[in-house]
Amino acid sequence: MDLIFVGFFAMLALAIGLYVVSVPQDGQKWWGLAAVIIVLVIAGKLIGDSWVSSLCLDLAELAAVALVWSHGTPEAAAAGRKYLYSIVPAIACTLIAGSLVGTGAEAPGPALQKLVVGLLIIGFALKLGLVPFYFWLPAVASAAAPMTTALIISVVDIATFGELAALREVSPWVFSEYAPVWMAIALLSMFGGALLALAQTELKRMLAFSTINDMGFLLLGLIIGGPAGIAGASLGALNHALSKVILFGAVGFAERQIGRTVTLDTSGLAARLPLAGAAFIIGALVFIGVPPGFGFVAYWRIYIAATQFGGPALITALLMVAALDLLCYARAIHRTWLGPAEVPVTGAPAYLAPGVLACLAVIAVLLGCYPSILTAAAGPGLLAMAQ
Amino acid sequence: MINPVFVPTGVLFGGALLEIVLGGVLSRTAKGWLAFLAAAIALTAALAMIPASIHGEVLTATLLDWDAGIALAYHVDGLSILFMLIGTGMGSAILLYSVGYMAEEEEGTTRFYVLMLVFIGGLVILVCSANLLMAYFAWELIGLCSYFLVGFWYKRQEAVDGARKVLIITHLAGYGLLAAIMLLYVRTGTFLWTDPAVGAAFSGAIILLMIVAAMAKSVMYPLHTWIPEAMNAPTPVSALLHSACYVKAGVFLIARMYSIGPWHGVFGNLLLLVGCLTMLVGSIFAIAQTDLKRLLAFSTVSQLGYIVTGLALGTNLGIAAGLFYAASHALFKGTLFMCAGAVQEATGTRDMRKLGGLSARMPVTSRVWLVAAAAIVGVPLTNGFVAKWLLFDAALEANQAVVVVVAWAVSIITTFYFFKATLSVFYGMPAHDLRVEEIHEVAPTMQIGLGITGALCVVFGFAPQLVMQPVIEPAVHALGFDWQVQVTWLGVLTGSGTIGVTVGAAAVVVVAALFGVGAYHLVRAPAEGHPVAVFTGGDPLPEGDTLGAADFAEMAEAAFEPVYSLDPDPLYLLIWRGIKDAAAGARQFATSGLERQPVLTAVVCAAALFAGVWLL
Repeated sequence: MDLIFVGFFAMLALAIGLYVVSVPQDGQKWWGLAAVIIVLVIAGKLIGDSWVSSLCLDLAELAAVALVWSHGTPEAAAAGRKYLYSIVPAIACTLIAGSLVGTGAEAPGPALQKLVVGLLIIGFALKLGLVPFYFWLPAVASAAAPMTTALIISVVDIATFGELAALREVSPWVFSEYAPVWMAIALLSMFGGALLALAQTELKRMLAFSTINDMGFLLLGLIIGGPAGIAGASLGALNHALSKVILFGAVGFAERQIGRTVTLDTSGLAARLPLAGAAFIIGALVFIGVPPGFGFVAYWRIYIAATQFGGPALITALLMVAALDLLCYARAIHRTWLGPAEVPVTGAPAYLAPGVLACLAVIAVLLGCYPSILTAAAGPGLLAMAQ
Repeated sequence: MINPVFVPTGVLFGGALLEIVLGGVLSRTAKGWLAFLAAAIALTAALAMIPASIHGEVLTATLLDWDAGIALAYHVDGLSILFMLIGTGMGSAILLYSVGYMAEEEEGTTRFYVLMLVFIGGLVILVCSANLLMAYFAWELIGLCSYFLVGFWYKRQEAVDGARKVLIITHLAGYGLLAAIMLLYVRTGTFLWTDPAVGAAFSGAIILLMIVAAMAKSVMYPLHTWIPEAMNAPTPVSALLHSACYVKAGVFLIARMYSIGPWHGVFGNLLLLVGCLTMLVGSIFAIAQTDLKRLLAFSTVSQLGYIVTGLALGTNLGIAAGLFYAASHALFKGTLFMCAGAVQEATGTRDMRKLGGLSARMPVTSRVWLVAAAAIVGVPLTNGFVAKWLLFDAALEANQAVVVVVAWAVSIITTFYFFKATLSVFYGMPAHDLRVEEIHEVAPTMQIGLGITGALCVVFGFAPQLVMQPVIEPAVHALGFDWQVQVTWLGVLTGSGTIGVTVGAAAVVVVAALFGVGAYHLVRAPAEGHPVAVFTGGDPLPEGDTLGAADFAEMAEAAFEPVYSLDPDPLYLLIWRGIKDAAAGARQFATSGLERQPVLTAVVCAAALFAGVWLL
């Protein structure tokens, strides 16, 4: 699975790079920091489960803070500070926890165990922006360049989630014995993120809150565990990475073309920017798990895991959140992209950026139509589902 | 060697792929012909499977490993073939019609034809799939195609509003099907509905969830409100949506539930109630419409009520009636929509208040409309008559007299609003601002498309055995029911209460006719110079006044006022507002509480988490 993650990150890095050629973000500094982040994340994944890998990811987080700062606006600086104030304690928590349990394969004594689990929950909740530790994520999404946010969410956050997934396999006691607390965080993020996303009028903030919501969803898959839960969470993380580059990319492109922030009152963008509009619509539907998108491949596994674990009550809760997601994205699609064009386009025509996004959208649909390409390559963990 | 079972699917998706590849090279007309060809080949392949299903064979095959051992496995029985024929047959006629209809469309024709072919292909996968997860996949694929097709003119507000409603209502209800599949999997460890274990686990909430999903797809009250809003789509989309590929998916699911396991009982009665209510509400809302396509949309709601009622009876005759009605409805409703599209194409409007007198300018369309309208009303010699006859008899045999009365009353209302539509559009004096001299018949391909389906309404009315024995009978057997229908020229013999039903029906017809004649003479004979003499529904018209769609609409609105308050949309709006209020409340809490003091919040929450961990 690690190699698939690496492949995904490389593909997304290429896509982001091509996009930024067409829609410049924050100059040379941006390229340098983005390259550092990509290299660190990929190196961390290739190294495998060790402290060096964790260190690479932590350094990537810090480079991401610098990337936010590099935008140069007061809002970006404030968002960068929030991000830093979250990331530093998060790194501290996970490092301390790691140093206390070593490889973590065996559970330590009760007191130490509780300390470690507490630190891990707080550390990962801060890194992933889970409710109630989410403050940095909407701020970054709103203030930083769109591809900066996409890079943070789709590469850095997803790599962090991958670290959590690895922990789930190496140290199952971290999750199984403390499932209620993890579950509370997951459900709070799912419902809180979904409701807060619905309350936003600015699209980038809405996308940030929907990330929080989806992270809760994926975390739930991990907590439940089993072949379905873990495979669902891992595939869901890949879907999240792919979709969020498309979504932030489309919004960023639209903002560049119309010269202002995209909100729910920016009607009819697809009439002016059809390719970006198509990419956003497909990306959104894929993200929320509508077949034949890639998201469904992840979500059906999580639904199975949830039904096995929590019966009708848990599957009902998940489907309620899915319904909120649908309402949220349908509103965004219809109030921002579809309908008569009301905002003039002032930016110079550009085809590379929307073309890249459209290609990613096609990949997201193809992976949903024939996921065996990916799931067969992922190995017996995923195949175990069918048996 | 490709298994012939996969030919319809392969050809339809292959056609869509070709459309994408050649989209930049082909003309709009050529794209249309390519799509028609693909659908026609798929229809031929489906027809070729009929002999096997007549002999009771079930064709099975596995195409590919979709995802981690979950295969796209087909189980093609009589029911699959019936719905495959509906989808590919109506799809072919509608795509032929589209060649002319879309010839002037300036942009998006590749998108249109790709979506239409995938739409039909999605239905084929749904009806053939042995795997419930793949069936859900196809279910949502159909939903997504209809969403994009209804919003085809995505720069028009009314089109995208309709599309949004389609997406929200049907996708949310579709979660019912997904949850049911998940529960079945957890209980049985398989997604294959053909596995006997699935039948054994098929009970309670699972059945209810499937019914809810089917209700939204097949526009059952109160989940029907998306369909009138979907009328701003291109007419071929409306025709396909109403006749074959969308509303029929829900009907298919209800029918297929009989194959999965026993479910009738309480749920059957519930569905019977919903079916009757849908019949009534749909027809009463149809009367009040002045937009031709909206009238047809509400008539779809009403007609689907008939179909579901037949299936909900759960008897040999009821199932046969429901399935034959589904096939018949596909033909006459598809034809009616194509005629409505032709009228809109020729006149630029579908507002019945602005139409009239088109029969002279559009003779082919008007005649075909008359045939299809006669079929939907249930006039003898049409397939609609056979369908209604069978349904009434099935309800009588099942001792469901209330169903008969409701269906009979709705038939009268149907007649009433189709008279209104027919007179308003094709007869009487043209509206003042209608430029009659500029109106002419639509393109030949459009006429052929609607002509074929219109002709079949009569063919299957004269000789219902052509479709009953080779298609409906195997479908009935596939659901585990016995075939109890004897078919003759011009009608059916059910062998149950034949004389009583015949005499009773004849008496009803005579009484109704006498009542009509009497009322006509008692109220008023037509004034001199009136182009059309019509029964007004009660009140006499002022001297020199004529009767139009608006008059009927106003009368109906006044008469049925309490029924219109049954529109569930205000309830949905209330739910949406509640969700928005909850979201606003969450935001208020977050911004004024959590986000104002992030450090304090983080510290307090971290402490609470530690406490939680410590207590475990």
